[in-house]
Amino acid sequence: MDIFLQLTFSGIALGMIYAVIAFGYQLTFATSGTLNFGQGEALMLGALVGLSLAGNVMGGPYINYWLMIPLVMLFGALHGVVVERIGVQPSVKTKNEFGWIMSTIALAIIFKNVAENIWGKDDITFPSPVSTAPFEIFGARVQIMQVIVVVGALAIMLAVEMFNRKSIYGKAVVATANDSDAAGLMGINTAQVVTFSYALSSATAAFAGVLVAPLTLTGSTMGTALGLKAFAVAIIGGLTSGVGAIVGGLILGIAETLTGYYISTGYKEVPGLLLLLLVLAIKPSGLFGKTTIKKV
Amino acid sequence: MKSKLLGLVAAIAAVVSVSALAADPIKIGVSGPFTGGSAPMGVSMRDGVKLAVTEINAKGGVMGRQFVMVERDDEAKNERGVQIAQELINKEKVVATLGFINTGVSLASQRFYQEAKIPVFNNVATGSLVTKQFIEPEFKENYIFRNAAHDTIQSAMIVEEAITKRKFTKVAILADSTNYGQLGMADLVKALEKKGMKAVAIEKFNVKDVDMTSQLLKAKEAGAQAVLTYAIGPELAQIANGMEKLGWKVPMIGSWTLSMGNFIDNAGKNGDGATMPQTFIQEGNTPKRKAFIEAYVKAYKPANDRIPSPVSAAQGYDSVYLLAAAIKQAGSTDGVKVREALENLKEKVDGVVTTYDKPFSKDDHEAIKMGVPVMGQVVDGRVVPAK
Repeated sequence: MDIFLQLTFSGIALGMIYAVIAFGYQLTFATSGTLNFGQGEALMLGALVGLSLAGNVMGGPYINYWLMIPLVMLFGALHGVVVERIGVQPSVKTKNEFGWIMSTIALAIIFKNVAENIWGKDDITFPSPVSTAPFEIFGARVQIMQVIVVVGALAIMLAVEMFNRKSIYGKAVVATANDSDAAGLMGINTAQVVTFSYALSSATAAFAGVLVAPLTLTGSTMGTALGLKAFAVAIIGGLTSGVGAIVGGLILGIAETLTGYYISTGYKEVPGLLLLLLVLAIKPSGLFGKTTIKKV
Repeated sequence: MKSKLLGLVAAIAAVVSVSALAADPIKIGVSGPFTGGSAPMGVSMRDGVKLAVTEINAKGGVMGRQFVMVERDDEAKNERGVQIAQELINKEKVVATLGFINTGVSLASQRFYQEAKIPVFNNVATGSLVTKQFIEPEFKENYIFRNAAHDTIQSAMIVEEAITKRKFTKVAILADSTNYGQLGMADLVKALEKKGMKAVAIEKFNVKDVDMTSQLLKAKEAGAQAVLTYAIGPELAQIANGMEKLGWKVPMIGSWTLSMGNFIDNAGKNGDGATMPQTFIQEGNTPKRKAFIEAYVKAYKPANDRIPSPVSAAQGYDSVYLLAAAIKQAGSTDGVKVREALENLKEKVDGVVTTYDKPFSKDDHEAIKMGVPVMGQVVDGRVVPAK
């Protein structure tokens, strides 16, 4: 039982990381029908910028970990605006259906190369802001940072949801998500809303980056695998559902740790991906996604 | 008149080309990962080679010819290694190639050297198969040499430390999924078998894995008293840190990569006590070693005066002297003659790892024999001789 609990806790911490990144995919998909395939790189840049501010790689630390978070999110937002302006807007304007896929992937590669040149190709330790000694819950051991990841991930998703539901700007986002054309006719600047959603999306990814970095190692290659897994999570949970991202993330995270222990560590990624194939075959819009019928 | 002029031109051309030939440098290829997770080994190896080349050149080179290094970053990727091998052989026309940190890259690339009859010196890669890829009866001549402690020696030493010296009865093996990790794991299993033992758990993980909970839990549940490892720095650090996450601490005993700077730095205090076979420890216990360490630190100024991977630096340094001795004895840079000279090296080569007295023969291409490596241990962020 202890073992099962231990694996579940590790799976939850891992799954919530996937969930926040998947949430980032959803934010932009809702408003524009496009997504940033460089979401993993947005996370990586966030983590590395955070490390430069709060770690000692660039002559720092300049500020402490907690004060660094808002700055990193601001950086993430700017990064999102750049991605949207350069990668997405042109192809949306010209009604090019697939241009944004190629351009966001291209931007992701460029960001990775830039990061390699600034921070090097090596993995660097991110100093943990809290004690790394684990504490015990029901016989399983958990680190404080793992709890912070889970809480932080839930908090940022909740904050975005509240913003969308309560504020006037959020309502513009929701309106654009529901019917972009109608929202435009109602006087909402939908292009601006799309840019804003990209900023929000990259900011959450950057936030996720500084959350996970103390648990893993930081480096230019850290985002690629996470971004890909989170994409699987977004598909499993559904690209239109915030709850879906959380559930999908937890399913994938827990499936990985359980399979690793009970079946074989060599196969730990298989069940999650099998589930992905199954979802695509049976319910292509995802477990919690709204089925949309495209009229032609 | 015209023919006279032509003759003159031809004569001048002949003189120029002869003198060019006399001063022709000896090109040696250096292939290793200078970026990424294996970089501490690759960079230290390259710098060790550079140090030896500078010394030899300062003394007038070999046969009056200077050594020139052609360095290439193989990024620890098999396909990059193959491209570089072809470039070094066909475009750069190297006399020999030193390097290969990663067993996989080595196995994929050295086929081209074997075909071109150009000697290869593996100065870091440790897979047992490396020097046995082209042996009789299928191949008459083997162009692959090594001056690193191969995995058969290392796995025997690891098992000796865990089972005989520390008297553990239950050990787990954790290895990464690369050629290096999996071949090393097989060697560990064989070494344990010789002691009539079996590992209680054998787990693998991928390079870049961030969560080792499942693997460590399995080892813990199986009652392992020690974890034997075969992986490289960053993932070894994840294991050490993963143990802290689980609040489970047993000794880590593993291949020499536990001495890598990126393990020691990323594991921090969790890495203390890790024990591994070493051919060279950064401790000037002989005048030759002292001079080498001082020269390295002075030339490359590593952080905290700690060579990122002292073993790689020392073996890289020695590999140049072994090659130089062979070229001198052969009196030629022809691959066949250099290989023959290596297999019957008359001069004793005084290296920093050991003194090489007839290091190779036709059937034995391993310069490092059992008994040369010693056990090292991480204490306060440095590798020191194990007690």
